[in-house]
Amino acid sequence: MRERIAIGLAVGAAVLLSYNLYQMFMVLPDEAMQGAIYRILFFHAPSAIVGMIGYFVALTFSVLYLSSGKLRWDSLSASVIEVSLVFSVVNIVTGSIWARIIWGIWWTWDYRLTSALVCVLIFAGYLMMRRAIEEPTQRARLSAALCIFGCVDVVIVWKSIEWFRNNHPGPVLTIRTGGGTMDPAMERIFYLNLLAILLMAIALVLVRTRQEATALQIDSLRRLANAA
Amino acid sequence: MPGRLEDRPPLRMKTVQQALCVARKDLAIELRTKESLNAAGAFAITILLLLSFVFDVTSEETREIAGGLLWLVFAFAGALVFNRGFARELPNECLDVLLASALSRASLLIGKAIANFVTLLVVEFLSLIIFGIFYDIRWWLHTAPLAASFLLATWGISIVGAVFGALTVNLRLRELMLPVIIYPLLIPLLIAAIEITNLLFSAQPSLSEGLLWGRLLIVFDIVFTALALSLADTLLVN
Amino acid sequence: MDPRNFTFMFYGFLAAWLIVFLYVISLARRGARLKKELENVRELVSSSQRSTSSPVQSAEPTHKQ
Repeated sequence: MRERIAIGLAVGAAVLLSYNLYQMFMVLPDEAMQGAIYRILFFHAPSAIVGMIGYFVALTFSVLYLSSGKLRWDSLSASVIEVSLVFSVVNIVTGSIWARIIWGIWWTWDYRLTSALVCVLIFAGYLMMRRAIEEPTQRARLSAALCIFGCVDVVIVWKSIEWFRNNHPGPVLTIRTGGGTMDPAMERIFYLNLLAILLMAIALVLVRTRQEATALQIDSLRRLANAA
Repeated sequence: MPGRLEDRPPLRMKTVQQALCVARKDLAIELRTKESLNAAGAFAITILLLLSFVFDVTSEETREIAGGLLWLVFAFAGALVFNRGFARELPNECLDVLLASALSRASLLIGKAIANFVTLLVVEFLSLIIFGIFYDIRWWLHTAPLAASFLLATWGISIVGAVFGALTVNLRLRELMLPVIIYPLLIPLLIAAIEITNLLFSAQPSLSEGLLWGRLLIVFDIVFTALALSLADTLLVN
Repeated sequence: MDPRNFTFMFYGFLAAWLIVFLYVISLARRGARLKKELENVRELVSSSQRSTSSPVQSAEPTHKQ
């Protein structure tokens, strides 16, 4: 059942992405100031949004694990973090490539970039730590703690550096500005691409969660074999 | 015989008293063995010495990054201190005894954090003296704000180190995993500490900017201490 | 020179797709490895269960000095 949902989501994402790519390259014109490179935004910003949403969804799952003790929540949390990390890396890399042309530099220490990097460091550490622990309950407990502390930390980094350094472009989406800063046709493709990336992320999370469940099954069968 | 049962103090003490009891025990051990102090202190001095070869210590640019150099040294020395914090309870199953005792988990965690805090402060003070000599920095010009920022930043480092020191105590790769986990978490705190320290080492520190960074230190300390206290019972299990 | 900045746009798209593609490949490989490991462990469990349920073999004669 889960496999069918994952396949369905993946197919939906593929169809949407194909449509969006056609629109991006064949229909939408170049941007007045940036030329063709603005199209990176259609992957850069949705990846950031999906990544951030993922970390806070994982936070919820971590809290659920600590309150219920069910390893299913830990598997979900770890899967969501792994997929969110992939999209966070996409966000940082595409952002750097865009910035090289538009700002002339690969990197700057403004609040969004710094918090994005801190996020990646914290959750890369999370995944490294999970590989180092074999006992499932101990791994789940430590993962939940790191996820909770990590998410709180990211919020602190975001808000604190916002007080000091702000080079990143401001909001352009109508929901943030009330309208007039982004072409409506571009904004439509932006939201469609966000949906496509979200569907892709959910499909990947479902696949990864299934793998976590298999790994737990292998672990318990091994214990059974050793006990026999 | 230690005394009649009815004369002994009640087992149920307040969390703070329990925490201070744990801290006193750890600091007594540290005073006797000096294992963390020697390791962290020697490490800090060696790194400061090496850095003084890398940078031209008389130049103005080096003075501007002095805060960064100092806090990097403290962060790395801190990892050595936190590794020992809970690990010293492993032999003879002392940790199991502590967890099974009437001590609340929160007080055990805070007690360990206080012990880390005091040990790290000693290392920091010694390093500051050596640093002042090697780099010709007059750190005593704004002693009160410097002391306040050191206390706040060191507490933040200590509480995070205590929580993850407790969680990683049974891991095979503890010494490797603990730094990998805690350094990204400490980034906002270290940024604030570095900025305040650089401000206080400069000729005319800006009060408003210092207060802004100080606010970050306070927020970090409050939030992470509250998180540690609320999660202590769930996270510290046998 | 590239007035439309097309080259870097291409690099950006390439980077995004490559990262996701590499992740999907690693997921697929991990899935195959886990499937194989599950089969092996299931076989191990069933063989160990078979050996514990089989009749006890007669003891080997002890060596007489």
